[in-house]
Amino acid sequence: MRKLFGVLALVALVAMLGIGTVHAAEKQMKVGFVYVSPIGDAGYSFAHDLGRQAIAKMDGIETSYVESVPEGADAERVIMNMARKNFDIIFTTSYGYMDPTLKVAQKFPNITFMHCSGYKTAPNMSAYFGRIYQARYLAGMVAGKMTKSNILGYAAAFPIPEVIRGINAFTLGARSVNPNVKVHVVWTKTWYDPATEKEAAKSLLDVGADVITQHQDSPAAQEAAQERGVYSIGYNSDMSAFAPKSHLTSAVWNWVPFYTTVVEKVRKGEWKSDHYWWGISEGVVDLSPYSELVPQDVRALVDARKAEIKEGKYKVFTGPIKDQSGKERIAAGNVAPDDMLLGMTWFVEGVVGSNE
Amino acid sequence: MITAELIIPILAATVQSGTPILYATLGEMLTERSGVLNLGVEGMMIFGAFGAFLFTYFTGNPWVGLFMAGIFAGVLGLLHGLVCQVFQGNQVVSGLALTILGVGLADFLGTPYVGVATTGFTPFEFPVLSSIPVIGGIFFKHDALVYLSYTLPLIFWFFMNRTRWGLAMAAAGEHPAACSAAGLNPVLMRWAGVFFGGFLVGLGGAYLSLAYTHLWTNNMTGGRGWIAVALVIFAFWRPGRAVFGAYLFGGIMAFQMRLQALGATLPSSLLLMLPYALTIIVLLFSSARGKGRAAPAALGVNIEPGE
Amino acid sequence: MLGFRIAKRQEPLQWGSFFIFFAALALSLGISCLLLAIQGKPFMRALLLLWEGAFAHGYSLEDTALKSIPIFLCSLGVAVCFRMQVWNIGAEGQYALGAVGATWAVLTFPDAPAWALMPLMFAAAAALGAAWAAIPAFLRLKFELNEIISTLMFNYIGMLLLEYYVYGDWKDPASFGFPMTVMFPDTAIIGSMFGRIHWGAAVCAVVAVMLSVFLKRTRLGFELMAGGENPRAARYARMPYNFLVMLVMVLCGALAGWAGLIETSATLNRLQPNVMVGYGYTAIVVAWLARLRITSIAVFSILLAGLRVGVENLQLELQVPAAFAGIMQGLLLITVLAGQFFNWYEIKRVSGMEGEVDTPGNSGNAGNAGNASNTGNTGDARNAVNGGQE
Repeated sequence: MRKLFGVLALVALVAMLGIGTVHAAEKQMKVGFVYVSPIGDAGYSFAHDLGRQAIAKMDGIETSYVESVPEGADAERVIMNMARKNFDIIFTTSYGYMDPTLKVAQKFPNITFMHCSGYKTAPNMSAYFGRIYQARYLAGMVAGKMTKSNILGYAAAFPIPEVIRGINAFTLGARSVNPNVKVHVVWTKTWYDPATEKEAAKSLLDVGADVITQHQDSPAAQEAAQERGVYSIGYNSDMSAFAPKSHLTSAVWNWVPFYTTVVEKVRKGEWKSDHYWWGISEGVVDLSPYSELVPQDVRALVDARKAEIKEGKYKVFTGPIKDQSGKERIAAGNVAPDDMLLGMTWFVEGVVGSNE
Repeated sequence: MITAELIIPILAATVQSGTPILYATLGEMLTERSGVLNLGVEGMMIFGAFGAFLFTYFTGNPWVGLFMAGIFAGVLGLLHGLVCQVFQGNQVVSGLALTILGVGLADFLGTPYVGVATTGFTPFEFPVLSSIPVIGGIFFKHDALVYLSYTLPLIFWFFMNRTRWGLAMAAAGEHPAACSAAGLNPVLMRWAGVFFGGFLVGLGGAYLSLAYTHLWTNNMTGGRGWIAVALVIFAFWRPGRAVFGAYLFGGIMAFQMRLQALGATLPSSLLLMLPYALTIIVLLFSSARGKGRAAPAALGVNIEPGE
Repeated sequence: MLGFRIAKRQEPLQWGSFFIFFAALALSLGISCLLLAIQGKPFMRALLLLWEGAFAHGYSLEDTALKSIPIFLCSLGVAVCFRMQVWNIGAEGQYALGAVGATWAVLTFPDAPAWALMPLMFAAAAALGAAWAAIPAFLRLKFELNEIISTLMFNYIGMLLLEYYVYGDWKDPASFGFPMTVMFPDTAIIGSMFGRIHWGAAVCAVVAVMLSVFLKRTRLGFELMAGGENPRAARYARMPYNFLVMLVMVLCGALAGWAGLIETSATLNRLQPNVMVGYGYTAIVVAWLARLRITSIAVFSILLAGLRVGVENLQLELQVPAAFAGIMQGLLLITVLAGQFFNWYEIKRVSGMEGEVDTPGNSGNAGNAGNASNTGNTGDARNAVNGGQE
């Protein structure tokens, strides 16, 4: 009996020490976020902010953010301010923050910097992004199956690689189920300007597109599609609320798993500088739930492919892939390396429009 | 490349795209006819767009939003009137300040509403008229605000030329002293000019956030307010040409997008320059011809106290 | 009406501007605090944060100083134009063209040594900026095209032109497709003079001195200062009015162009679309507040730069939208405009009978070279609309 007590007491002691150690490791950390647009925009920054809100719930984590920070010199000041206020981790969520983040990172070697959608790193700075193009590919499959006119419309923001990559993936996905499809592109040069984006969508509708998708943050293009009675595919977050009669699905972000992982790594001292590019397998990108408009057989087809991507069995940019002029860019059987994807400035065959 | 079946949609888009510009142009025209130059159109327009969105969001009734857009912008107009008429401020600079203020206010107050959608005006087919071939498709398949805008130029013309108040307002803009001599108060006329002119500009802004889209953002007007200021000059301060000018601009904005949709390979930066370059070209033509149709004689000149 | 009468002063107040500005500042701050309160933000803390962010620390002062450099240069140019009643609101576009010009120099002669490249950059920036201002000036002089509209349109076109090059031919092949040029070589970067303050500050000082000398000691400068007062009189002076208009526009374009060059070279070290932050528009506010008094321009540039920098602190701590700075600027301008009324008019009590009418003479005007006509009663606004001179 006494032996049992002794063992129990020992176990209790060890348990308490264990708990104590866990709590002791839970040090207070301040995590800062810099956004390029307002967080309410139901779009890009909104998705990042959902990630922030998730880590804010973690023990000992305090978060703060600054929204609508213009890229360039102003950004450097904002990041510098955060650094001076002893933030432990700073996430800068737009490519235009790359140089400013690097400059500040070089001055504050004890702070961890995470820059989204860029490519420069430092010993205390990582670059990260998400393989949203995988979700775009799947969305393209849906569009390719649902279209009757074989013309898809893509309202695009700025001619930068992430947008071009998305257009390409969408086109590849659509043509994999429907080789006659063409994707028309209109550049709005805006990230959030409903009037311009709606006009772009309408132009695409006027040339015969019957599925509209977008790379901006406002749901204006979805509105346009609904008004004409055709289909639409959203971006950033589930846009079904904005266009319930036309919305099929959306290519969405989910930063929660990534941000959580980063915070924990820093906390445990395991963080090191790297390029992170997570995708469907890690849960950072996905398709939002299908709407009722998408029939079962399409869902099954797309879900099957999604599972393949998730398990790493299928890569979106697998050759043969030709560009708009017909030149082969990726040979048959080859997979495009990440570098090529990150710097993609050419359109694949099937895209109609200018790439600048 | 521009096939026949594309022409009607482009023209229909022209009408829609030109409508907010038309409202704003007529509004500024009213203000300028009364003798006040108000360069704050861009600020008033976006502030009106915000007011419209805000009130529609809370009341669920877009007509309330529409009215409040006019009030919001009209209040800014009154502020301009205050600075110029009471404090004898320079009209040019006051207008510029109003733009900065209006844009800032709309942005500041409106940030929480970015990303939200409301109800608004939706297009419907105008009974009977929409079945007319061609014309029906271009003009009569829009929303209520567009139909309302069709009546405005006529109302404007009638008001300025056939009503006592309108003539008084025009007199305030041409020759304030004569206006007083005739027993009318030119200062009061100008107050009416800035307020009601501003009201119309606000309606133009409301169109953007309640009809053109059902969303709001802080840079929605995208320079349309300035184009309206230019169009007033282009229109020789008469409503008829304002219609032509507004639709011309609407057309350019719609056109450059459709060029892209058709697959034109011109860089989009160049295409986007079109509306602005066109503004200048259009003004050049009006300057070259408009010797007989000058601005209201007292435009921009404050009425001194005691005059 | 209420026992008061508004009468025009025989001579405008001299010390009035100072007092008016502070009253205007107080009123603007007050209204801004009201707006903050509406949004539920603690306004007292906001004011402190604003101050802290702009001026309280060494690095804040540096930030503010750095930001005031381009504002100062643009404001000098705009103020010179406003003096002639040339309503140039195109500083933003001229700034863009200056940045483009400087970048052209770097990209065309990347291996040139600094002593050749730097002057070339300055020359190119000035040339392109000046050209961008000269076109609207020409359109005004020849076609009576309203320069307010033309310079504003040129702002948009100028920015799009910058984008055209950066997305197109000038894009750095190693930038993974992002719209930016290559990093400038060290020979093309304006280096630091003192801590974080770069040589752009020295450029400001030199320009300020030269402009001051030009305006006060040369005949041309003198006529420029007087020319805006009375276009008719200027016609009979040595220099034709048209020449002066073109001169001020070109000068402003060159100065704004240099601001663009400095920001591109010293701050960003490459050309990107986000070199455009709105300095050209801030310059308008400074130019009006300060008139063509160079020290005032410096002070107001620093003040408005401080406002922008301080507001970022508000964003970080209180989540106040950045637009707060715009509201403050707009309010400041409006309140100053309204306040300047008291420079020219006074409110007199009417006792008993109706007093005699004051002679509304403009007599106080001619002797005040430093205190430009600010009531706009000479029909300048109408001229602005028609684009022509009387």
